[in-house]
Amino acid sequence: MKIEHLFSVREMSKKDIFNTFSLASKIEQNPEKYSNSCKNKILAALFFESSTRTRLSFESAMLRLGGQILGFTSAKVSSAAKGESITDTIRMTNHYAHIAVIRHFMEGVGELAKEFATIPMISGGTGTQEHPTQALLDLYTIHKEFEDIEDLNIGIMGDLLYGRTIPSLLFALSKFENIKLHLISPPALRIRDNVDFRLKETNLNYSVVDNMKEVIDELDVLYVTRIQKERFPDPTDYERLKDVYNIKSSDIENAKDNLIIMHPLPRITEISYEIDALKQARYFDQAKNGVWVRMALILKFLGLDINE
Amino acid sequence: MNNEKNKLIVTKIEDGTVIDRIPPGKALRVLEVLGIDSNYPYTVALAIRVRSKKRSLKDVVKIKGKILSEKEVQKMSFIAPGACVNIIKNFEVEEKIKLEIPNHVEEFIDCLNPNCVSNANEPIDSSFDIVSKDPLILQCIYCDRIMEEKYLSGQL
Repeated sequence: MKIEHLFSVREMSKKDIFNTFSLASKIEQNPEKYSNSCKNKILAALFFESSTRTRLSFESAMLRLGGQILGFTSAKVSSAAKGESITDTIRMTNHYAHIAVIRHFMEGVGELAKEFATIPMISGGTGTQEHPTQALLDLYTIHKEFEDIEDLNIGIMGDLLYGRTIPSLLFALSKFENIKLHLISPPALRIRDNVDFRLKETNLNYSVVDNMKEVIDELDVLYVTRIQKERFPDPTDYERLKDVYNIKSSDIENAKDNLIIMHPLPRITEISYEIDALKQARYFDQAKNGVWVRMALILKFLGLDINE
Repeated sequence: MNNEKNKLIVTKIEDGTVIDRIPPGKALRVLEVLGIDSNYPYTVALAIRVRSKKRSLKDVVKIKGKILSEKEVQKMSFIAPGACVNIIKNFEVEEKIKLEIPNHVEEFIDCLNPNCVSNANEPIDSSFDIVSKDPLILQCIYCDRIMEEKYLSGQL
């Protein structure tokens, strides 16, 4: 049987995405029903780079499914610190677990894993390249809110150059119709040319905007991302750009009534704390939805979703 | 008579390679990439901007004593697409290879992205899809980085 992995949203069809959402929704409504679904299964969490939500929600997802977890939380506490290759780590994991989540600071780990993994592997984020499960939980949140992912006006704002959730979200959105998309960023942080190149193969069109004020009154969704300090080659560029956006309640006074504000988290200063209590804030719901979506993905990639 | 007078006579080689129909002006680059310089111990004939039978201009290189490896043929396809490599043995053409930019290339080009896993100490070779041949654009299958022709010249 061919082992399937998830390292890019591009590998999933619209039908795959909706099947995942359907299962996630069933799990959300009745999590107890699934509490033994992964009995005697082990998930390896290979986190070569730090994480809070992705790791905890994957671990929570596996534990809620009755499975067990093992793994490491940074490259420093694995043999990567001694110089062991990613390949050899993957070869070992093949024997220790039934499924693995891997996060790495390098780009391209997905294709590498596909060559050496004999168990299903799911990306927990690879360099600046992609973070597919984040995009899926983002879309799940949008789907729950609007009951569909079509005919929406979406603004994506922040560090579009280095943020890995952005390519995944764009590739995911490109599978849906009539999305009016605005990419809001300073000129230095526009999307990378390889992402743009891939998007040109799709029907997703977008406008490029410097300032949120130009579009805020049309948006259904404002998706905000952190300026990715750890990925700037030059720290002075980060210092110059780190506070370029800071959304306050006054900034959304003219917004549509149904606007929701999303963020993959962690947030630094780009969304003021005063937004947290407003009806538009959805970022903590996203984090919660991540558990249901990741439970559905674990079942899917272990081949345990067949009768669901 | 005039035609005969203007004809360039280059003797046949017994064993080696003739690269014909090289885009005009690229012959020196071809020799450079093949590592052939003044220290090369055998005969090398070089013709730049000569008329082809179809009256267009071309370069031609004849190299005695050298058979191009598969890797060198692949490199040549990026430098001189459309050219024809003739492998000569005993004064006869043993094999003709029309140089075409492939759809995929491995090994001899490194990804420009220093953070790409293909540049790390892993048991894999670099690997690119050629997503456009004119203009030439490569995409790393590992990190998705796009590379244009101008970034390739230093690597061939």
